[in-house]
Amino acid sequence: MLQCIFLLSDSGEVLLEKQLTGHRVDRAICDWFWNQILTQGDSLKLVPVISSPTHYLFQVVREGITFLACSQVEMPPLMAIEFLCRVADVLSNYLDGLNEDLIKDNFVIVYELLDEMIDNGFPLTTEPNILREMIAPPNIVSKVLSVVTGNTSNVSNTLPGATASCVPWRKTDLKHATNEVYVDLVEEMDATINRDGNLVKCEIYGEVQVNSNLSGLPDLTLSFANPSIFNDVRFHPCVRLRPWELNQILSFVPPDGQFKLMSYRVKKLKSTPIYVKPQFTSDSGTCRISVLVGIRNDPGKSIDNITVEFRLPPCVTSSDLSPNYGAVNVLADKTCSWTIGRMPKDKAPSMSGTLVLETGMERLHVFPTFQVAFRIMGVALSGLKIDKLDLKNPLSRPHKGFRALTRGGEFQVRS
Amino acid sequence: MAPPAQSHRSPSPSQPSGKGEVSDLKTQLRQLAGSRAPGTDDTKRDLFKKVISYMTIGIDVSSVFSEMVMCSATSDIVLKKMCYLYVGNYAKHNPDLALLTINFLQRDCKDEDPMIRGLALRSLCSLGVANLVEYLVGPLGNGLKDGNSYVRMVAAVGVLKLYHLSASTCLDADFPPLLKQLMLKDKDAQVVANCLTSLQEIWSLEASTSEEAARERETLLSKPVVYYFLNRMKEFSEWAQCIVLELVSKYVPMDTEEIFDIMNLLEDRLHHANGAVVLATIKVFLHMTLSMTDVHQQVYERIKAPLLTLVSSGSPEQSYAVLSHLHLLVMRAPYIFSSDYKHFYCQYNEPFYVKKLKLEMLTAVANESNTYEIVTELCEYVANVDIPMARESIRAVGKIALQQYDVNAIVDRLLQFLEMEKEHVTAETLVLVKDLLRKYPQWSHDCIAVVGNISSKNVQEPKAKAALIWMLGEYAQDMQDSPYILEGLVENWDEEDSAEVRLHLLTAVVKCFLRRAPETQKALGDALAAGVTDFHQDVHDRAFLYYRLLKYDVSVAERIVNPPKQAVSVFADTQSSEMKDRIFDEFNSLSVVYQKPSYMFTDKEHRGPFAFSEELGNLSIGTEPSDAAVAAQRVEANDKDLLLGTSEKEEGHGYGSNGSAYSAPSYNASTTAGASQAHFDLVSIDQPSTVHPPVSFAIDDLLGLGMPSAPSSVPSTLQLNAKASIDANAFQQKWRQQPISLSQETSIDPRGVAGMMNPQALPQHMQGHSINCIASGGQAPKFKFFFFAQKEDGSSAYLVECIINSSSCKVQLKIKADEQATSQAFSELFQSALSKFGSA
Repeated sequence: MLQCIFLLSDSGEVLLEKQLTGHRVDRAICDWFWNQILTQGDSLKLVPVISSPTHYLFQVVREGITFLACSQVEMPPLMAIEFLCRVADVLSNYLDGLNEDLIKDNFVIVYELLDEMIDNGFPLTTEPNILREMIAPPNIVSKVLSVVTGNTSNVSNTLPGATASCVPWRKTDLKHATNEVYVDLVEEMDATINRDGNLVKCEIYGEVQVNSNLSGLPDLTLSFANPSIFNDVRFHPCVRLRPWELNQILSFVPPDGQFKLMSYRVKKLKSTPIYVKPQFTSDSGTCRISVLVGIRNDPGKSIDNITVEFRLPPCVTSSDLSPNYGAVNVLADKTCSWTIGRMPKDKAPSMSGTLVLETGMERLHVFPTFQVAFRIMGVALSGLKIDKLDLKNPLSRPHKGFRALTRGGEFQVRS
Repeated sequence: MAPPAQSHRSPSPSQPSGKGEVSDLKTQLRQLAGSRAPGTDDTKRDLFKKVISYMTIGIDVSSVFSEMVMCSATSDIVLKKMCYLYVGNYAKHNPDLALLTINFLQRDCKDEDPMIRGLALRSLCSLGVANLVEYLVGPLGNGLKDGNSYVRMVAAVGVLKLYHLSASTCLDADFPPLLKQLMLKDKDAQVVANCLTSLQEIWSLEASTSEEAARERETLLSKPVVYYFLNRMKEFSEWAQCIVLELVSKYVPMDTEEIFDIMNLLEDRLHHANGAVVLATIKVFLHMTLSMTDVHQQVYERIKAPLLTLVSSGSPEQSYAVLSHLHLLVMRAPYIFSSDYKHFYCQYNEPFYVKKLKLEMLTAVANESNTYEIVTELCEYVANVDIPMARESIRAVGKIALQQYDVNAIVDRLLQFLEMEKEHVTAETLVLVKDLLRKYPQWSHDCIAVVGNISSKNVQEPKAKAALIWMLGEYAQDMQDSPYILEGLVENWDEEDSAEVRLHLLTAVVKCFLRRAPETQKALGDALAAGVTDFHQDVHDRAFLYYRLLKYDVSVAERIVNPPKQAVSVFADTQSSEMKDRIFDEFNSLSVVYQKPSYMFTDKEHRGPFAFSEELGNLSIGTEPSDAAVAAQRVEANDKDLLLGTSEKEEGHGYGSNGSAYSAPSYNASTTAGASQAHFDLVSIDQPSTVHPPVSFAIDDLLGLGMPSAPSSVPSTLQLNAKASIDANAFQQKWRQQPISLSQETSIDPRGVAGMMNPQALPQHMQGHSINCIASGGQAPKFKFFFFAQKEDGSSAYLVECIINSSSCKVQLKIKADEQATSQAFSELFQSALSKFGSA
């Protein structure tokens, strides 16, 4: 049972305070918390669940805003954290982003939202579709409308019909002029490659994202050509689990708009689409560095948005790096980022240069880890294929679309 | 949306400039109050927003209360919401003004728009003014019967709010039975869930005083009710599912068939997108199968994949919470996760707290088949730029070495670390090599060769230095240069700041002398000379001890300083298995994150209910009004048992239990292993290399009472004053001032636990033994009592905090006494009295 939620800015200022129970939590707790952050350094380094002299604190940091919740009783920690994450998601969805100014400008909406999301410390609903029906988001359309009609209320006067329906994530009697549904496979490849170039670990975390603009109560079924590759799956509450267990078919009545239908994990992939080969050779106070990037296993589509990032060890005093393709940027905190962009067809990108070590240091003995990002449009690297998407009760023939995309997630190359 | 008021940006809450603006607002609001001109609502809205933004940044705007209420007559719902928010914030401190709001809130409760009815009811219940509760009963009653589920949902929670304000009003209005009816009948799942949460809280708080409530609480866990919830599971929102699952986890099924039915029904919850639901389901599975070993193992297999997905899919904060639970499971059943070790590999950009958990898991899952790969991975981290991480990794390698039979490869790796020539790596490795040698003396040859090459100048950390010196002394005959290195160290005696290192140096020199006398003689002379003039008491004493021993008889000295050592087979585990079981019982709770059972930190939990009752004028002892207690220094001034984070807590315990036993070896397996080794050398006369917990020994020795035995078997010499009395405030003050003289954990007879069904009986029982109850509180399964007793002659008073956990049959005692020496005797008296509870 949460007692209070605070929103703090990145300078520790209280942006918003929402007391949830009759038992008030004094604001001084924020000072205590902020002191902890100052003494521990970065707020990201502070454990998400901490214990203050009077309360248990849960914190989630998003875009510089700290969502801090207090409780005095034993409760499932994941419930608190998960709830705070949802609050953050809903707010950024409503406000179209998340920062100090947005929250200050729209604090009334934030209060309204929190009011509907949690009562007396127990989470009620965090489903964006339902909240949208109760509290209109502050978008331009409603602003224009309010000017035209003179009705400035941003609250719909009717209660969400869905609260009474058997499909709580969907409004009743929806109407769309164009009936369309899009399915995106978005995959992230997490891989660790050790200094010998061997794959230590490689797996895919993927999501099936659906954007549905369908009228009425559509009943969809989505099936995959190769569902056996999944190692584990998690579903949106709208998915009926029985058909999945029997035939690996996703059967569901979708919420309106964009939502995450399922997420999955595919383990034990054998290779990565690209390789990154760093090399260091030290000699009397300087170190030659060379990094090669190339295609290892051609995915069939072009690879773009390639960046290679690493942090120079603290013992490096200066560096001189030059790439044969793309641009290298060295920041003050010694983070080097090499932006390659689209993989060129005719040559393999490489970067080389020298690092000057601290005086008295002969050779480099700590080596950086390279963080690699990339994007491949049109391919799901796990090999997952959508078989078909059917509509059971269509009013009119809808437009269907499919896309796939793979990104580098935690793609790390050690040296 | 209107542009934000400029005053939003005023950064400091204490900024005085707010004042003038507040009075401006006041006049503006007053002008608007009666106006019905078109566009008034827009102006009001801007003003309200200003007021609330002041409130948000902490400026006191309670002075405009009456104006706000006057302006609240509006049909604009946003205005209403802002007004509710404002009123909810200030009503508690202005009960008189709050009366003004009752009228319009009650009117809104009858509005035709269900949204407004709901909002008004919610605000009405949140006012938190105790003397206005009478106005709540009517609207709440109507709300529970409202045709709209939104209003019923708000009303269900409102009943709980009312209960916390005034329990008697709530019970007199017969709300709990109404809620129960609603819970079992309502069509809307959210209403049902809210009824459940309210009823759970009300009945468990009432259970201590009313048998009926206790019975009702039991019926919540009865088969029909639990099945009713299970059958409606899919209708509930994800959060309500968590609450229901928590309830189900407490249900005890009749037979295995029932268990399988429930698990089959809930299996699909493991696929839920909400991690909290998944974890709550896992808790149900684990608890239900505890008695069925085979199935329990299958459950582990089944929940592995969902847990691992949760870890890799969420934000770092979510991962952390899941990892803490995974950590617990891995520690319980490492072999099940041993094939998934790659999931515990660390990413270099993960926060340290995540990496640390992962390292512990890697250590736990290491077995014959994967050790090589895990250690290879760990070695990668050792070369890491991140120094704390490198240290932890080395420790992990060491731990794996200590738990595996095939240490050959690992020893090689460790020795390679020493050649990396990084100070922190060398230091950490030396400590480990020392521990390794204590367990596997057969490796001494390889290790010594490498250790001998390390220049003592490159080792600065006391712990590492101590480890190096220990090895120099222990393996003096194998290390060529040992006497000369030691001699060099002795020469720098004065520059050595750490007493620990100097102690080790003394012992090492003596050991070396006993083996290679001619070469060490000079070093020994210098060391003893420096030792006896040392300002540190321990060093001084030990130097004298050695000096006299050597003077008395060298062979005796040999036997004492250098006895044949047995290899240490098991290093004491820091956490007992019983403790781990306890944490496991509290799966999906904070205990798991803090890695300790809740009784060790949930003093806050007691404050919660206590603080609520405070407002009712009840007695509350040992609790702080929570807002006042925020100031950290105040808490420090408070006695140390009042919670705090991990480390402080442990220190507090250690301090409290050791009492004045100054020389007792402070044993803490990982951190002071070096130091305690030194102590064992000393005590090894009669107990070669046994590790014993110092607590009880130290105290017993002081009292000369011998081993603690069954409480009743020791004839009690302590007589208590039957008419002792103390008033609550004096008790509270005394409790704060005195240090804990004894802190104990024992178990209670199951019959006594049965007696705890009626906790009021315990104070009566104890009174019969001249021990008076000052305050009591808590709810099943945990009860907390404060007792007071006085010695027959009135010379010494005893204050006791007693926490009884009726589910685990455990009792925790903290005793504070005027005369420290008699606290043990009193504790026995107390326990014997307690043990008779329920049996009489």
